[in-house]
Amino acid sequence: MKLESKVPSGPIAQKWDKHRFDMKLVNPANKRKFKVLVVGTGLAGSSAAASLAELGYQVEVFCVQDSPRRAHSIAAQGGINAAKNYPNDGDSVWRLFYDTVKGGDFRSREANVYRLAQVSNSIIDQCAAQGVPFAREYGGTLSNRSFGGAQVSRTFYARGQTGQQLLLGAYSALMRQVGAGTVKMHVRREMLDLVVVDGAARGVVVRDLTTGALERHAGDAVLLCTGGYGNVFYLSTNANASNVTAAWRAYKRGAAFANPCFTQIHPTCIPVSGDHQSKLTLMSESLRNDGRVWVPKTKGDPRPAPQIPEDERDYYLERKYPAFGNLVPRDIASRAAKQMIDDGRGVGKTGLSVYLDFADAIKRVGEDKVREKYGNLFDMYHHITDENPYHTPMRIYPAVHYAMGGLWVDYNLMTTIPGLFCLGEANFSDHGANRLGASALMQGLADGYFVIPYTIGGYLGATKLPKVTTDHDAFKEAEASSWERTKRLLAIKGRRTPQDLHRELGKVMWNDVGMARSAASLGDAIRKIPEIRAEFWKNVSVTASNEEFNQTLERAGRVADFLEFGELLAKDALAREESCGGHFRVEHQTADGEAERDDEKFTHVAAWEYKGEGKEPVRHQEPLVYENIHVATRSYA
Amino acid sequence: MADKNEQTMNLTLKVWRQKGPQEPGRLVEYKVTGVSPDMSFLEMLDVLNEQLVSRGEDAVAFDHDCREGICGMCSLMIDGRAHGPDSAATTCQLHMRRYKDGDTVVIEPFRAKGFPVVKDLVVDRSAFDRIMMAGGFVSVGTGAACDANSILVPKEKADKAMDAAACIGCGACVAACPNAAAMLFVAAKVSQYALLPQGQAERDRRALAMRKAMDAEGFGHCTNEYECEAACPKEIKVSNIARLNREFLRAAVSAD
Amino acid sequence: MQATETEEKACCRPADCRLVMLLESSIGKKIMVALAGLFLSFFLLVHLAGNLFMFSGAGAFNHYASALAHNELLPVAEIGLVVLFLVHIALATRAWFINRAARPVGYQVYAGKGGRTAGSRSMAVTGALVLVFLLVHLKTFRFAPAAVREADLFALVVRRFRSPWYSAFYVLALGGLGLHLSHGVQSAFQTLGLNHPRYTPLIKKLGLAFAVLIALGFMSMPIYFGFLGGAK
Repeated sequence: MKLESKVPSGPIAQKWDKHRFDMKLVNPANKRKFKVLVVGTGLAGSSAAASLAELGYQVEVFCVQDSPRRAHSIAAQGGINAAKNYPNDGDSVWRLFYDTVKGGDFRSREANVYRLAQVSNSIIDQCAAQGVPFAREYGGTLSNRSFGGAQVSRTFYARGQTGQQLLLGAYSALMRQVGAGTVKMHVRREMLDLVVVDGAARGVVVRDLTTGALERHAGDAVLLCTGGYGNVFYLSTNANASNVTAAWRAYKRGAAFANPCFTQIHPTCIPVSGDHQSKLTLMSESLRNDGRVWVPKTKGDPRPAPQIPEDERDYYLERKYPAFGNLVPRDIASRAAKQMIDDGRGVGKTGLSVYLDFADAIKRVGEDKVREKYGNLFDMYHHITDENPYHTPMRIYPAVHYAMGGLWVDYNLMTTIPGLFCLGEANFSDHGANRLGASALMQGLADGYFVIPYTIGGYLGATKLPKVTTDHDAFKEAEASSWERTKRLLAIKGRRTPQDLHRELGKVMWNDVGMARSAASLGDAIRKIPEIRAEFWKNVSVTASNEEFNQTLERAGRVADFLEFGELLAKDALAREESCGGHFRVEHQTADGEAERDDEKFTHVAAWEYKGEGKEPVRHQEPLVYENIHVATRSYA
Repeated sequence: MADKNEQTMNLTLKVWRQKGPQEPGRLVEYKVTGVSPDMSFLEMLDVLNEQLVSRGEDAVAFDHDCREGICGMCSLMIDGRAHGPDSAATTCQLHMRRYKDGDTVVIEPFRAKGFPVVKDLVVDRSAFDRIMMAGGFVSVGTGAACDANSILVPKEKADKAMDAAACIGCGACVAACPNAAAMLFVAAKVSQYALLPQGQAERDRRALAMRKAMDAEGFGHCTNEYECEAACPKEIKVSNIARLNREFLRAAVSAD
Repeated sequence: MQATETEEKACCRPADCRLVMLLESSIGKKIMVALAGLFLSFFLLVHLAGNLFMFSGAGAFNHYASALAHNELLPVAEIGLVVLFLVHIALATRAWFINRAARPVGYQVYAGKGGRTAGSRSMAVTGALVLVFLLVHLKTFRFAPAAVREADLFALVVRRFRSPWYSAFYVLALGGLGLHLSHGVQSAFQTLGLNHPRYTPLIKKLGLAFAVLIALGFMSMPIYFGFLGGAK
């Protein structure tokens, strides 16, 4: 397997322009002859599908929910970055580029990140024109705020519902095309396999979740926009249906999987309350703009928060990182919380949380102002925990949130399978080892609105694709193997539910492959996961039949894939003998517990190649070359 | 992690079971044990389903996804109330501390001609997508936008538009409406664009087209009972319905 | 909006398509019902004002009745009223049937979350009751033999109200009318698009006050003449 990044030559600021000129164009009359299949309808999928249809391509779109509007992008709260520099505070494309590369702990591809920063402004323009109700100043201009460790105010937002509003914007553009007949929408469909003909991606096999029927769809290119794999940890902030299946099937058909160990643990989530818990709820990290994080100085201090005097509190982020204080990047804030908890200074019934205190902010600006800014988050917290955060400090705990890893893609967002593109969170993306706040929405929409419309033309215009119909043997084979799997799942008739086995996997993943990873814990995980997998295939209970709406069967299929993927994630974490961003190896830390990179050995993307059932996957490397940014130790002190 | 001393509850559920769209349905009684007050309502259904599946029985189908009140996937009529007894909350945000040991809870799907049952508690809400296709958008192709700050939107208008845009498309308004009308959903979208300068160009067409699509889906007529507003998890106001009426009237009278 | 281009054209074939659309569409229908309802409410007010002459005795009331009966515009007004009633009743009834069809399988348990009022809940029942009342009322007074009517309408009214069953029916029906108006008036404003945070609370209060005024105003006659022995 060769990893060709296809990064254009020339100065970084001109690469994208140059590339757009160099790429082949598909003439307008020919576009309608090409069919593009888009899987997933989050920010990346919806925006790509709508944009490609506007260009004249035939587009078919698939999503697992009952409507494309429900994709998990909808849950993003905080905002979207752009280098508009409207507040005149020193932002620029270059600074956004630099911050993103640094935030990612120097493990992302420079040229991609630069392009992301370049198109960021067009995204805001596009969304505003669509009627996305961004926050405004009294004069009618757009509001900005500082977010997630940025020292400039470059984040655009729509209350605490930015993801929802951006997704609804993209969804409305998509619906316009569906209404116009240029996009064919297939809801409640799950992609079960990728169809590769003569080395190129030419179609998908999907299951109609309401009838169980397997369908074959052929096209000239396939776009996977299927989101992240955070649910491999069972508990995460992801939606219940978020899964790795589509990406995993593509991996098994030859797409390299890059940096799976780069998962983001978000610091401000509502703590776990019990074993029944099915998901973790994130609260926007914008809360850290006004909330102060602390734990008692004494271990196991039993007093309720208000009774702990000021000088017996440890505002540890402000103490350790005076320049950034409570606004340090997510990986750093999460790890610091873990250290406090490991040190026995965690708070709450379970001891598995730290305080996020708004008392000072309320004193400073008043409860009304705080309510105006964070009202919905406070309400949400109150709802879930039954504690009133206006009176007692919130309790927060880190939770798995975002997957920086994903299918490996080149500069054109094409995977190692020609014709298979991967967009948004599903690709290994532009975030390196850690994603900065308000960058995910930016990347998903950049990929869909402003990258793929060009690069897909480059592929389709330069490639001779023979006509392929769904009668091709490759389709028959893919459908047969999907059907085989389903039959197998239904035939086991064991005693354990898919959810129960998923929970068991999640515990291993969180404990051994979570916030602090060691060679020993990873070794344990790599030993335990195949055991759970074996138990799954021996003892899972999938009731009812294939020929109906069957959520147990859906879940089982996804868990089966997580049980394979989790092992790859652990292997990747084991192979990466350094700490960087969201990946923390306890063997690699500085004396004061900070992550220690090994730039000499690991300034590369690890891309895993599937070698067949029961065979060891092969780790390939794409070296990361920094021509424009000086690689330095990331310091937020 | 669960506190061993925590009080747990036993509940009786009466759940609507219906094998498929054409099959007859009925309420089936189940006992769920060991329900913790910290559970969400959906987690309580998870417990029921795990008990059913381990016994080899078919799980109760219900729609859910984000479980944090934003995707609009979860539904359910709980004791005759859309999204249950709490106001301004979706079913996934309803917590079991709202119930006490020994309670009986009746769970039915959202019911409307426009929302046919798929299975058990799952309904097909694609009618909303079709209404959106008719005009729930601003026709601006990718790349055709001007600089974002060249469109000035007064803060008050932007805030009002955001209030309307907060709709999650869950369909509780339809479920709660005695007439199964979809006015609040349509009104929210029409209002968002009617309030914003971006929506002006297609204002009349939108109101006429979305109304037409709404009626074609078989939803009822609004009789201003305001159950939609009471049930809406995002507190969308019926003043939006008045705006929709206005927009419609304006378009019907003045548009060519 | 490519999507609706063709449909729009198809809809605009008949010259009067807008009116047809208004009558066919859910919102248009409701706007018509609301408009007719508001006009009818106005009529009720005028009618009440006239009827209150009953308390001024036979002379005043009969004089008023006779002046009204001989007004040349009366037939025009009556035709107008008939049209308003027909529009109001026909469209509301049609909407009622469509609304029943919009939920073919009903809930086993339906509780609501506090949006409805007694008035809103009972619009169809009170509407039907008012219709029955209207027919009885017209038969008794409007279509009483001309000789009886013209001789002494006051006496006719008093005679009818002396029947306790008749008066009781009146009181009941007018209660229904009040209930109908308690929702109908403010609801009509909402349907016509008049909703404003500043004025809507006032409209709601005035609507309720209007309903109470109309109901009590009309009820005062059967009560006074029927049960309290007025004009004895």
